[in-house]
Amino acid sequence: MKKKNIKKKNSQNNFSKLSVFQNQKYKFKKKCPLSGKGAPVVDYKNIKLLKRYISENGKILPSRITSVSQKKQRDLSLSIKRARNLALI
Amino acid sequence: MNYYEHTLIARQDISPAQIKQLQEKYSKIIENNEGSIVKFESWGLMHLSYLIKKNKKGNYLHFKIEGNGKTIKELENTEKLDKNLLRFLTVKVKKLDLETDYFKKNEEMPKK
Repeated sequence: MKKKNIKKKNSQNNFSKLSVFQNQKYKFKKKCPLSGKGAPVVDYKNIKLLKRYISENGKILPSRITSVSQKKQRDLSLSIKRARNLALI
Repeated sequence: MNYYEHTLIARQDISPAQIKQLQEKYSKIIENNEGSIVKFESWGLMHLSYLIKKNKKGNYLHFKIEGNGKTIKELENTEKLDKNLLRFLTVKVKKLDLETDYFKKNEEMPKK
């Protein structure tokens, strides 16, 4: 039983991070936050931006949760992998 | 000519004089092989997010290079043999971004 509780807690913590993107207000927002005018540049040096798109365990979040467009998701995953190689993330 | 961004991570227990030596050594190699350095950035001693060869921290050096494939080949071949380095990464870019320096802000923050 105890083990189950721990597992549940972890998933809740993870979910709390995921739910940042699924706030009540923005629940139906489907626009990509990285494309369009004035959007931040995806780059392996821009750690602050990349950290928003990885989970607590360092995994890349799926685009269905973050509502990033396909093209930008490819850029993101590439630059996250580069940052991992340099031990920045 | 192509544009490249090149990043090095040197060992943590290296002296500042040795870091300058490394910088001069690699800028010489670039210039001797048909390349030129557009900008050099020193990101300083930063925490690694995981251990690399039992190092917790690393000295980051960043070059913005104009050159061709030969330059990069020569550069990486000598870096593979260098025991002072932990990692290196070369990225080919279409346009060099000279304005934004993501790691200068990080250095200023702790001072405040």
